[in-house]
Amino acid sequence: MSNNYFNTLPLRVQLAELAKCRFMHISEFPDGVSALKGKKMVVIGCGAQGLNQGLNLRDSGLDVSYTLRQAAIDEQRQSWKNATENGFTVGTYEELIPTADVVLNLTPDKQHTSVVNTIMPLMKNGACLSYSHGFNIVEEGMKIRNDLTVIMVAPKCPGSEVRAEYVRGFGVPTLIAVHEDNDPKGEGLALAKAYAFGTGGHKAGVLMSSFIAEVKSDLMGEQTILCGMLQTGSLLCFDKMIEEGVDAGYASKLIQFGWETVTEALKYGGVTNMLDRLSNPAKIKAFDLSEELKVLMRTLYNKHQDDIMTGHFSSTMMADWANDDKELLGWRADTAETPFEKTPAGEMEISEQEYFDNGILMIAMVKAGVELAFETMTAAGIIADSAYYESLHETPLIANTVARKKLYEMNATISDTAEYGCYLFNHACIPLLADFMKGIKSDVIGHGLNNDDNSVDNARLIEVNTALRRHPVEEIGATLRGHMADMKKIV
Amino acid sequence: MTVRLDNLTVEFDQGFRLSQINWQIEAGQHWVITGTNGAGKSALAAVLTGAGDCRSGGIENLPARVGVVSFEAQADLIAAELKKDDADILDVISEGTPVHKIIFDDCADPETALDLIARFELDYLLDRAFRKLSTGESRKVILIRALSSKADFLILDEVFEGMDTATLSMLEHYLPTLIDNVTMVMVLNRFDQIPDFISHVAYVDQGQLLHQVRRDDDKSYAELYQLLHLKTTDLDLPSVDPETVIPHLDRQQPLVQLNGISIKYGDFTLLDKLDWCIEANQHWQLSGPNGSGKTALLSLITGDHPQCYVNDIVVFGYQRGNGESIWQIKQFIGYVSTALQWEYRVGTSLRNVIISGFYDSIGLYSKCTDKQRLIADQWLALLGMSERADQPFNKFSYGDQRLLLIARAMVKHPPLLILDEPCLGLDDMNRQLVLALIEKICAGSETSVIYVNHHPEDRIRGIDNYLALE
Repeated sequence: MSNNYFNTLPLRVQLAELAKCRFMHISEFPDGVSALKGKKMVVIGCGAQGLNQGLNLRDSGLDVSYTLRQAAIDEQRQSWKNATENGFTVGTYEELIPTADVVLNLTPDKQHTSVVNTIMPLMKNGACLSYSHGFNIVEEGMKIRNDLTVIMVAPKCPGSEVRAEYVRGFGVPTLIAVHEDNDPKGEGLALAKAYAFGTGGHKAGVLMSSFIAEVKSDLMGEQTILCGMLQTGSLLCFDKMIEEGVDAGYASKLIQFGWETVTEALKYGGVTNMLDRLSNPAKIKAFDLSEELKVLMRTLYNKHQDDIMTGHFSSTMMADWANDDKELLGWRADTAETPFEKTPAGEMEISEQEYFDNGILMIAMVKAGVELAFETMTAAGIIADSAYYESLHETPLIANTVARKKLYEMNATISDTAEYGCYLFNHACIPLLADFMKGIKSDVIGHGLNNDDNSVDNARLIEVNTALRRHPVEEIGATLRGHMADMKKIV
Repeated sequence: MTVRLDNLTVEFDQGFRLSQINWQIEAGQHWVITGTNGAGKSALAAVLTGAGDCRSGGIENLPARVGVVSFEAQADLIAAELKKDDADILDVISEGTPVHKIIFDDCADPETALDLIARFELDYLLDRAFRKLSTGESRKVILIRALSSKADFLILDEVFEGMDTATLSMLEHYLPTLIDNVTMVMVLNRFDQIPDFISHVAYVDQGQLLHQVRRDDDKSYAELYQLLHLKTTDLDLPSVDPETVIPHLDRQQPLVQLNGISIKYGDFTLLDKLDWCIEANQHWQLSGPNGSGKTALLSLITGDHPQCYVNDIVVFGYQRGNGESIWQIKQFIGYVSTALQWEYRVGTSLRNVIISGFYDSIGLYSKCTDKQRLIADQWLALLGMSERADQPFNKFSYGDQRLLLIARAMVKHPPLLILDEPCLGLDDMNRQLVLALIEKICAGSETSVIYVNHHPEDRIRGIDNYLALE
């Protein structure tokens, strides 16, 4: 089967690759799209990423067309409709791949091996193959023909936002990388930069990284804090509120929209700001809960990172691919049957502040998850910038999908890879927190603290505030959010 | 007693007409009538004195004793005096009627008249001939006559015009002492002159009484202020930013040329083989029912519709689909629509919203120049929003947001301004605000306007090309 590329590298190179991540300044893009001007870009796959990236690239003056499998064209599937209704040329692999200067592989991870094996013989000599996720190269060890340049351009947002932000005149943060083994003409970086420029990414910030750093950090983030923590947190908090006699509709609503509301504060000012939204007694409570959660969950976060590093995770998942996704589909069905998922959000008004006041435990979970994911990644050799983007930065984006249609929407939007990892995390985490949850009452989830006054001990408050502000994820966060502010992103 | 004008239509000399006026003035109310020059403010005030020929409708409880101060009243009196002089019955040189006779003959309240003469310090000219007075002096005399007539209604038409500072300050203190015994109707076109005792404002435009606003209704009062400001300020569009120059266009070439364009979604054809050519300096009105493809057609021009790449479209010299970027197209276009407003949900300041027009972006993502800031501030002044420059856009009323987005669209003086149903969802007042601004733009710049609407009554002066979709 597959041959894990990362595991073939010496430790020295593994560490060097993991540590690659540099924030590029907008002034590093003076050439715009010129490296791609007049070149023929052929996109494989016309889902959300494929279509929206293609729309942006074409609007930036580039030549974009789509290639689909013969069957998708014959049956006029959704991907065919997406491409043709938007006025793109659509053709089969045989028709379009041989004409392509750059092939954009925007299919799901699972299809990469078969797609790449099909198109590689058709690609012209010296062309470029672009990925938006490095799984196929790093975890499956796909070998690409020596004459081909291999790059990665990965917008760090769902496809719909990639388009929406471009239309607004902005872009989304984008990670680029060049696969060092496949850069025969030394033009990989220029092509990746032009591509990121064409999608508008240069305006929001481009991270120059490596295939390895991208895969190992992306997997870790999505399995743990981003999707896993939100799934586990949703299920536990809902069941607890019902047990405590909180109205089911209220509980459902508090969770569905609460993640989005509290992580909006995270987006603006990090963990510190999210906790600063609480009263002082509630802040100290959330802090204490999160410290407890971090102790309980640290081994699980470590295990996820270790399994990702050794390749154990990807081989487990690929075994499920080979088994027709039996586990994935079963877990997906189980999620749909959970009480949280089946209880519609109530009609009541919940004010923005109330989501904080009555969601202390959710805030503690987000804080614990973000900090643990960040600490685990950086301890594994991933540098802080990468770890920040794959943990704190993306949490509000995923929380937004929960707000739309609960866990179903979250799991439908993220990749199958992320979804599989999310379930793995969830299954381990729920029993892990069983004892902890026994001690939880509705004062920290559902009703809020019922204090007559908000007095706290000075020394304790100072201790908590200092610990919050000194966490390394806050330091790098302040710097990176500062870059964004420099670009006058007005949210 | 309540004076009631019921669906009143009145004609005046020179064919001017007040149409379908519905207005009630209740005891204890004090009104200002405002509007642009020639709107019919003075005519409306004059109706209360019984002026004009009633064509339909009627007035109830017309006040018995009305004191009038107006340029017309002043002119009438002066004309009468001159006529006396012309009536050369006696072969002597007439000095005309002295001021004391003008004031005290038929005076109902000589005590007040004397008091006012003292206040105005007019003793020195009581014996002079009225017709030899300066304009300001004769104005004061008329005012004294009106104020000492024991009227139950006082109509003061632009009474502050041409008065010196000392007199203005005297009136400012004096008028409020009268209000318990008389109903005031003042004609003013400057809000800053409205005295505190005024309880209601009536807004007149083109012979119609369009708005009646209570003084204590802060929101409507502010909107009315803005409307009048836009209507009465001489509009000099703020200048172009020399740093953000739009490439020069050959004005002999059409701005937009759509050749046999079609838009299809699957089997459904929205537009089929349509031709449209927009020359520089043409203004167009585009209309059609819902779903007829108006917005889709426009988005072919702006490049927002993906099928612009599969149609024969030449815009601003670019044949679409030849490697041009969408930003190269957008730099020539200013665009306003309800959809844009929905998308423009950002908490950024009013100033930044206007500056974002230089970059065709929703929100501001680039560092702006001092010059751009200056120009944005000039636009805010034009809109009467200078004091609110730093407040967040999304906290503003729908109508104010619309005005700001039009200013954003115009800030770079685009060759083409597209206004897709700019009045949609606006109340009457805001609609007029928006239309007033558009009219100014049509008249005052080299920008071609495409104006899309449903409402035939929202016609804009200066637009004379029409395209109707079915």
